[in-house]
Amino acid sequence: MKFRSVFRKLLMLLAASALLLGIPTATAYASSATTGTGWIRLAHLSPNTPAVDVYLYSFGNSNAMIVLHHVAYGTVSPYESVQAGDYSVAMRAAGASAASQPVLSTSVTIATGHAYTVAGMGPESGLRLQVLQDDLTTPPGQAEARVIQASLKQQVVSVSLASATLANGLKFATVSKYQVVSPGTATVTVKAVGANANSSVTLAAGTVHTLVVLDGATGLEVVNLEDASGSGHPPAGGVSTGLGGTAPHGPGSPVPWLVAIGAGCMLALTGGMRLRRNRQLTARI
Amino acid sequence: MTTRRPTAALALAVGLVVIAGGTAGLLLTRHSTPAMRPAAAGVAALPAPTGPIVAPPQSAAPKPVAAPVSLTIPLIGVRTQLITLGLTTTGELQVPSSTSVAGWYTGSPRPGAIGSSIIVGHIDSRREPGVFYRLSELAAGDKIYVKRADGTLIEFRVASVQTYRKDRFPTENVYGPVPDAELRLITCGGAFDAATGHYLSNIVVYATEMS
Repeated sequence: MKFRSVFRKLLMLLAASALLLGIPTATAYASSATTGTGWIRLAHLSPNTPAVDVYLYSFGNSNAMIVLHHVAYGTVSPYESVQAGDYSVAMRAAGASAASQPVLSTSVTIATGHAYTVAGMGPESGLRLQVLQDDLTTPPGQAEARVIQASLKQQVVSVSLASATLANGLKFATVSKYQVVSPGTATVTVKAVGANANSSVTLAAGTVHTLVVLDGATGLEVVNLEDASGSGHPPAGGVSTGLGGTAPHGPGSPVPWLVAIGAGCMLALTGGMRLRRNRQLTARI
Repeated sequence: MTTRRPTAALALAVGLVVIAGGTAGLLLTRHSTPAMRPAAAGVAALPAPTGPIVAPPQSAAPKPVAAPVSLTIPLIGVRTQLITLGLTTTGELQVPSSTSVAGWYTGSPRPGAIGSSIIVGHIDSRREPGVFYRLSELAAGDKIYVKRADGTLIEFRVASVQTYRKDRFPTENVYGPVPDAELRLITCGGAFDAATGHYLSNIVVYATEMS
């Protein structure tokens, strides 16, 4: 019994020190890291599903935090910054009552400093809400890109950026992994059995992109989403932005003054002793 | 023997003078100079600038935005033009040569575009307060405005204010990619190291564009 309580205390101590040392903290980015927030965006990527209303709920709260009305195929919302925690996303037919049973819903856990895309994907008959984790890092001087295959007419596509392959044989309603790519303006080429598409995109250094392949009015379309952006070449270390004119200054060092006083004492003492000896000698004579 | 007498007297006199001088010096330098405080009514809150305020960017095919030209922080009386800054040959962030203007790092996203835009200003010169002297007084919710070359205005709100030691500067946090339009204002703070002539810390204000 006693051993167990000591053991528990030890565990708590370990956990506390780990917290202090920052061991279990996940990599978090930006202002969100200091405010405990993350990001979420919502998308409709199901080609034959009519427009929907998309609801975002904080877990356990029946009042929606965000409602996007009449979201049609190919629409991706801007990111919303929200407190880290558990949420649920629901889709209802456009115009349906907020109290009605949703067509689809899913839960999503938003971690501090992380970004997510919750997208309705697949054919209408097999529609599902998919939670994608979005990347918020790039190697210095590079860009990143991935592909969402949302074309129903062309079930399998291959996508390349200049000479780099981003996705090879990517199936409908799936997502490729992010890849590091050289920054600059380049041509995106989408190849499928029945159609091809080309589009010029600019991917600056320090940016993260998602290229969405959609069914267009005729053939394929590519939408270039900018997921995130930062300094392509992050400066090294801190910034030297102060010269100290308003800084508090501590008391000056006493050492030089003490040395001077010491030297003065020595000098005065020597002089004084010499004078006295001279006087004694003079007196003896 | 008698020739030694004036020398000894002189040594005694000089010694006494040096003791007096040393003591006076010691007494005069024992007090410290406190941090300079802004004059109470010296900096009044400024009115918010006027201009068409634009909405935050979309992630689908975002439009290019105009370059930033000025920065206004009404609460702490900051109104400055923005110069452009790059990197030094050693890869550090350049700082404005004048301590009374702020600068935008051209290697970061433009204010109001998606991403973390970097603006830097001095806390002080050798003698007086600089453009970002009162930056650390900002708190969550305070407003920051950036005007762009096309006359449009972007309104940011402070999310948080952080102080980091320069030897533990969180590069990824400050300069890394973010998915919304954010601003980072950077200046110096913390203790001043008179030996190196630098402050030991940086103050970073994180702000997000209002929708």
